[in-house]
Amino acid sequence: MGMKVTKLKRTFKEGLDNFYRNGWLSFATVSVLAISLYIISVTMILGVASTIVRQNVQNKINVSVYFNPDVEEVKIQDIRGKLTALEGVKSIEFVSKEQALEQFKKLGNNNPSIAQALDEIGENPLLSALVIKAKSPNQYELIVKDINESSFFTDISRIDYEENKAAISRLNTIIKLVEQVGMTLGIVFIFIGVLITFNAIRLTMYSHKQEFEIMRLVGASNIYIRMPFVFEGVFYGASSAVSVMIALFITSNFLVPITRGSIAGGSILDFYLGHFFIIFFLLLVSGVALGTISAAIAIRRYLKI
Amino acid sequence: MLKFENVSKIYPGDFVALEDINLTIEQGEFVSIVGHSGAGKSTLLKLLYAEEQPTSGVVSFNERSLDSINRKHLPFYRRNVGTVFQDFKLLPQKTAYENVAYALEVAGESDEDIAERVPEILDIVGMSSKMGKYPRQLSGGEQQRVCMARALVHHPLIIIADEPTGNLDPTSTWEIIQLLLKINSLGTTILLATHNKVIVDKLNRRVVEIDDGRIIRDNEKGKYSSVKVNA
Repeated sequence: MGMKVTKLKRTFKEGLDNFYRNGWLSFATVSVLAISLYIISVTMILGVASTIVRQNVQNKINVSVYFNPDVEEVKIQDIRGKLTALEGVKSIEFVSKEQALEQFKKLGNNNPSIAQALDEIGENPLLSALVIKAKSPNQYELIVKDINESSFFTDISRIDYEENKAAISRLNTIIKLVEQVGMTLGIVFIFIGVLITFNAIRLTMYSHKQEFEIMRLVGASNIYIRMPFVFEGVFYGASSAVSVMIALFITSNFLVPITRGSIAGGSILDFYLGHFFIIFFLLLVSGVALGTISAAIAIRRYLKI
Repeated sequence: MLKFENVSKIYPGDFVALEDINLTIEQGEFVSIVGHSGAGKSTLLKLLYAEEQPTSGVVSFNERSLDSINRKHLPFYRRNVGTVFQDFKLLPQKTAYENVAYALEVAGESDEDIAERVPEILDIVGMSSKMGKYPRQLSGGEQQRVCMARALVHHPLIIIADEPTGNLDPTSTWEIIQLLLKINSLGTTILLATHNKVIVDKLNRRVVEIDDGRIIRDNEKGKYSSVKVNA
């Protein structure tokens, strides 16, 4: 037991020494690994953030059904009852033309010309409406279709839906594009990162060539000979994870003015700080995994014992 | 203790390094292996510390065939066998002390144990005053003493010395041989490969001569040459 801990401590220190002695090579290795992890994490954060944006937009979507001015409120309430029964409908709110006018006036508070225009018309030009929210965004189309085919179709002045739909699909296209480009770049860089790390470990092995023979002669076990290189890989990975955390902090700081308000509860920096530990944990795990994989390849190919 | 039974070693390209070797060495013996360069001395020793495996035949240590030792357990076997070489094989970036300590470190010995045993063993080989020196600051004879200390630190049952004096002047050579004799007198088996005639003749111990991969002579209390022509 104690012996194993002692050996682990010694190989850990040896790996740290290798990492430290490699100097610029370690720096370059960590940089490339960090760039690949950075690209992937930026992609992921963009993905998560845009999903949140999309959800916010989706929460704001609704279908507004405006009724002709001659339709009585009683009839509208009756139609509301029928619509509530439709599948996929989450809620329906009735907005009378008087309420609509109130809201309109509130919006135009600072603009006396609007109030003046309304006075000029003399009567309320706005329409009563039912504002429908669906349980999920893809149900709107069906709901609109049902309304268009209903018996009260002739009472309806117009239905507002199409514009929102276009905005959402545009958002979806952008998200998909960002994810694809980010992932492709990330995978390419991971490949390069593993290659560079593997090469750094291979060079360490080369400079320690003479030691392997001596280690074997004095009775070092295979695992004892290998462990320092595994640790070296782990150090590359862990250092790049820390570098990426710093880079992400700087990036999100930089992006604050652009992202403020588009994410519920604040900016991208708040998102980063709010998820600091989970992001760091994921980066650390991926970095260490990449380093270990690189070390394993180098050991398999170049460490003959 | 050590036994070669019908051992042959053929390297790729049909190069026969050893052919049909039969040899038994008892605990506590001091055996000199002599022969020309390339006769097969080093190969014979490599089979013993499991650096090479025989093509056919069985090498056994204390009644146990080396073949039957799991690769994972080979390091533990090697701790029974101390090795000393012509080219020393010391780590240049470590001091004499650290080179010896290294053998214990890889075996997982505790720091306290190492701090206690290394000075002891360096004292036995007469190097305690130069523990802090690096190999480049030591003479050939001194470096070889450090190697002996490293080989001894696991308390091996056998010391395998492959041309240990090949790079040394006559005085240092004799000091190293004295040291081997001292170690042998404490019960450790010694296997010495050499082509130093003076040493072998002076030792007057068992001599095994190898030529062209075969044992051609095995004398108790032998001389370097079988025919005593030169006085």
